Amino acid sequence: MLSRRKMLQGIAASTVAVFGNSMATNRVDASPKKDAAPKRIVFFMQNQGFDPKTCIPSGLRSSGSLAKTRLPEPINALEPYKERLHIINGLHGIHTSPSHSAFFGALGGYRGSDGVPPSASTIDYELSKALPQTLLPHLCIGMDSIENMKTKPTIATLSASGAGQPIFMHSNPNHLYQMLYGGISTGNIRRQHEARSAVMNQVQRLAATKGQSLPTSDQMRYGQYVQGFKEVNGLRDRLDAVADHLRNFAPVVDERYTRPEFETDWHDVLLDLGISALTSGITNTLTIGSGRGEIFGAWKGLGIDQQGHNLGHMDQPDNPIWVKIRQYNSRMLVRIMEKLESVPEGSGTMMDNTLIVYTSNNADKQHTNGANWPVMLLGNLDGAFKTGCFTQLDGKRPINSLYTSLLRAAGQNVDRFNMDDKAAKKFDSGIGPLKEVLV
Amino acid sequence: MSIVRCALSFALGCWFISVACSETYTPGQTVDEDFDGFAKAFLADHCIDCHGETAPEGDLSLHDLGPVDEINAATWRSVWAQVTLKEMPPEDAEPPQVIQRLRFSDGIVDKLTRLMRDKGGFRANLDPDKGNFVDHDLLFGRLPDGIRLQPTSSPARIWRVTPQEHITRLNELINTESPFDRKKPGLRTHGDVVPTNHGGELKLYFGTDRIIKWQGGTVAYATSVKSVPAVLSSARNHGLENYPDFYTVNSAEATQILGIAADIIRYMADGPLSIAQPYQITDDPNSIADRMKGDLRGLPTSLVYSTRVVRPLTPVHDLMNNDGVTDQRLRAAVDYLFEALTFRPPSKVESNEYLSIAQQSIEKLGKTDGAVLGLSSIFLDRDALFRPELAQSGKPDLHGRVMLQDWELGMAVNHAFRYIRPDQTLRGAVTDGRMRTRADVRREVERILSDDSIRKPRILRFFRDYFDYDLGGYICKDLKALADTGASNRGQAHYRAMFDAAASTDRLIEFILQDDKDVLKQLLTTDKVVATKNDSVYFGRQRTADKRAEAIATDKKTLKAQAKADAANVEKLTAEISQLQDKLKVNPEDKRTQRTLAAKEKTLETIKKKATAEKRRRARINHNVAEVDLSGDKIYARVSRRSFGNGSMAPERILATVPQGERMGILTHPSWLVSHSDAMDNHAIRRGRWIYERLLGGGIPDVPITVDAMLPDEPTSTLRHRMRVTREDYCWTCHKKMDPLGLPFEMYNHAGLYRNTELGKPVDTSGEIIDSGAPDLDGKVSNAIEMIQKIAESQRAEQVFVRHAFRFWMGRNETLNDAPVLQNAHLAYRNNGGSMKAMLVSLLTSDAFLYRTVNQTPTNQTAASDRASSETTASTATVGEENR
Repeated sequence: MLSRRKMLQGIAASTVAVFGNSMATNRVDASPKKDAAPKRIVFFMQNQGFDPKTCIPSGLRSSGSLAKTRLPEPINALEPYKERLHIINGLHGIHTSPSHSAFFGALGGYRGSDGVPPSASTIDYELSKALPQTLLPHLCIGMDSIENMKTKPTIATLSASGAGQPIFMHSNPNHLYQMLYGGISTGNIRRQHEARSAVMNQVQRLAATKGQSLPTSDQMRYGQYVQGFKEVNGLRDRLDAVADHLRNFAPVVDERYTRPEFETDWHDVLLDLGISALTSGITNTLTIGSGRGEIFGAWKGLGIDQQGHNLGHMDQPDNPIWVKIRQYNSRMLVRIMEKLESVPEGSGTMMDNTLIVYTSNNADKQHTNGANWPVMLLGNLDGAFKTGCFTQLDGKRPINSLYTSLLRAAGQNVDRFNMDDKAAKKFDSGIGPLKEVLV
Repeated sequence: MSIVRCALSFALGCWFISVACSETYTPGQTVDEDFDGFAKAFLADHCIDCHGETAPEGDLSLHDLGPVDEINAATWRSVWAQVTLKEMPPEDAEPPQVIQRLRFSDGIVDKLTRLMRDKGGFRANLDPDKGNFVDHDLLFGRLPDGIRLQPTSSPARIWRVTPQEHITRLNELINTESPFDRKKPGLRTHGDVVPTNHGGELKLYFGTDRIIKWQGGTVAYATSVKSVPAVLSSARNHGLENYPDFYTVNSAEATQILGIAADIIRYMADGPLSIAQPYQITDDPNSIADRMKGDLRGLPTSLVYSTRVVRPLTPVHDLMNNDGVTDQRLRAAVDYLFEALTFRPPSKVESNEYLSIAQQSIEKLGKTDGAVLGLSSIFLDRDALFRPELAQSGKPDLHGRVMLQDWELGMAVNHAFRYIRPDQTLRGAVTDGRMRTRADVRREVERILSDDSIRKPRILRFFRDYFDYDLGGYICKDLKALADTGASNRGQAHYRAMFDAAASTDRLIEFILQDDKDVLKQLLTTDKVVATKNDSVYFGRQRTADKRAEAIATDKKTLKAQAKADAANVEKLTAEISQLQDKLKVNPEDKRTQRTLAAKEKTLETIKKKATAEKRRRARINHNVAEVDLSGDKIYARVSRRSFGNGSMAPERILATVPQGERMGILTHPSWLVSHSDAMDNHAIRRGRWIYERLLGGGIPDVPITVDAMLPDEPTSTLRHRMRVTREDYCWTCHKKMDPLGLPFEMYNHAGLYRNTELGKPVDTSGEIIDSGAPDLDGKVSNAIEMIQKIAESQRAEQVFVRHAFRFWMGRNETLNDAPVLQNAHLAYRNNGGSMKAMLVSLLTSDAFLYRTVNQTPTNQTAASDRASSETTASTATVGEENR
């Protein structure tokens, strides 16, 4: 029989359903745990695939400790951080159609492809809501050829806040610097920041004025539009209000911003900006798209003349080009860890409360069915994840199960992520998080 | 039921009848009564007997339900649905009087709306999926005595623009689309919607009208080209997607729009130079060959743009390309952008506001950056993202309604058909004061409808929303399950075929609309198909295992025979060539022999090549499918021109005839069938629900939260057998309305191919129309074609079609007060031989379209204010005469 208790549950559900549309995209109204200890997650998505041979120490065929192994050349920069590393081989993403790239499907755990819009939110967005609140919960940066980053300074290929709701990644470091640190900037960036602030304030005023005469029934809906400007302007004001704090973390703008020699100059400063957003506490979730989720990309600054699609056609193991790219990635990972380690937090450092997820939006290689999707985890998110080990799975659990594990570690009581029971029967041999990764 | 209860029930019933007879009922009227007044007696009389304290039916006890509150709201919502849909009281119980039922239903909605006002609101009754909750027979039949209708109107409101509308509007600023070509009417042209790309994503592309060379295939091209995805989104993916009050624009979207605005303004100013290097702009790509060396795929530098300027050159261009800044040029740019984005000229105040913003930005940042930033603000004007219908300037009539006029009316008419701004004639009518009466609207509507060159993408959007045939490309298919259907599971082939199929169905609908005769019936029963090459498979027949083996054997036999013949030919020719060569050895100068030898050698080469090609062709033959031979006149479908790379979304099509007895009408086309399927199989429930709601006008309550709606996972069982679980009593009440209507479509597999067998046995395609509301329709059917034929003949399906058109064009659900509008629209349709145009003229000149009532609450969209002094009944409603 339906009881009053069940009725209460029912009303809660129906209220959420009513709010569903507007709440889904309303970031500021989301209510993560404000008072919880800070935690943060970084997703580093290298395009063109992540061949397991480039990360699994030779001779290691079954799960075990990394302590007595030597990391392969492409990731040997991580050797000093081995005790924080967890290499996972044998997840799958065959349902994501990852050949060339799963695009939104890589972080969404659903079918994606070139030109296919997101069919649901992605894990980075969901985590940004679940983790303790920050000023700007989610930041995405994308690294590509210099031409693409200049022509298309923002694109959306990897992250989404819902079905048909892509999240843009930033690729022009000048724009990103202005957004994050306009309030403490000088010179041209300062002028841009002030001009933009003035325009946005006036847009908010005009929007509010035009809402005054609306029918009662539309006022709440239109009010959300006006509220959006208040949020944008409010974020800027809040960033301005903590300008003194931000000065301690903001990178120094140098010629690499304005006169990059290679695209890797911009890659480097974008990474600096991303790291600073973490260390300054501006954001709790950082998504890095190296190759921006597509099948192209360039790394001429590493001495790699070839660019784009052909890179994906090459076998990665023992390939000098891919060794360089992976080494570059690894150095970036080290930079993130070093910076986070240098900031005290609680009884330890920021890195103690951080997890870095390194993988590819392309599973193991460019032309793949996604039967194997290697992942590296770095850090343990305040002791939630096992480290210093290699885990070989049987290829029967999907990347969604890893994402479920992340959500569990972020305090969400979920058994699956973006996979209903029907699909799970086909694509997941288990339920709940990956027991092999969580402590 | 005990004798005492019977007596009590009878007494209460008599009391209610007398009350009902003595009272009048006005739909939508504010319910002033409390629980005791509107509900207590109803519950006691019609509900408690079964849903009492002990052993209640369905495990639901209502004896202590009490007034609507936060705790029991979900139960009240369920009671509302059951009573409104006449599911309750059950058939074997005494039904309430019509007015009793309506008052009870209104009362629940009213109380729920009040209660939930600050908790997200109760809006279920406003959802298009609940449109059919209004009794069809009351809308189209004679109203019982006591029901008095009010002259209808729609609430004053603002519509958020749709994603399609927004992208098409922005596209107008930077791309020039081809003018309408009467010789190729199917080609996408100016005024058509910007279509989704090869992956189904809606994007705005920059400079595609000037790109003359690129490197690589579709993906490389799409990556190189500057593009931005649609920022506004629609969360719904089935049914009517865009009632005005569904959406707003949030902060993330507003921020993105500002960024896109800057890109657009720079492109308006400088064209491809804003996204490319100067050397890339040339009419002779060979002249820059030295700059295009190496693998540039996916880079913007892989593109070559022609020198011909084709984008619109606007005051924004003039501002940015002339020295200095004058107020005149800046204001011209402001005013131009404002009108381009809001579709109306700015008021003096608006013009001054944006001029001031632009001036301040220029002062801070200098001309270029300042103008870009300042002008970008116009993209965030309320009226660039929302279309107002506020009716603030007119005078209320006797019923408190105000007729839209001038720009609001002109834009309402324009929006009924188009995504781009009103044409010159309509703008002229507005500015000349000729958009103020019903006759004005009729004039413009008839003009627009009669001119094919005025593209009307909103009409196609209605059919996409109504039929839901455009979802197939978004349904992720299991690779093995897809291969089992006979369709290709290689790469993205199936998904692209589905996007092509949606475009083909669009075009087929246009053909039927062109004739404008028995439109709905034609859509349901046409033997025509607009087809691509792929459709010979998708409209083909899935072979049984035996037939497949037979086909392979036949093929082998043919191949063997052909190979034998070829071998014989080769042997003969080889011998002849050998002889000729011997002859030449003896007489090398013999010209005639030389010529003969050369000819023979050529013939031999040709035979060998043909044999190899034939072998390859046969190796590619899909033996799982008996392909259908579709042939007919060449036509075009309205996909984009070359915007997405080589070979993607080609417009070429043929108008062919479907195989008789296997297909009939849109519901039997793969575009619709796949749109109503899932990863592994057909979706008979969704198909049945579509028939029940969109053709028969039935309503389905929401699935109770306690239901675990899963079919058993039994790969060796047919879908029909797996659906046995819906026959549980608890489920069957609703499922009997859907399942037997969806199962006849089992004659097709989940890729839309015709089939005779399922899992090796003859497929069962039987079904039944149960409780349709039109008794002559009820009964068993042997397959989908028989069912469709039956329904297509019915007047009820026409009326339900009109109801859906009403919702789409009015942007809200109908109420009983809209009965005269619906009846008139149906009459117009019927009296004009099933004319969509006549129906649209009727709807768009109706009070529901023309009038707005300010400050109506959402619950009582057509509710009267108590100011209305005269009421009209359905049969005599003639309102708005002053504007005729």
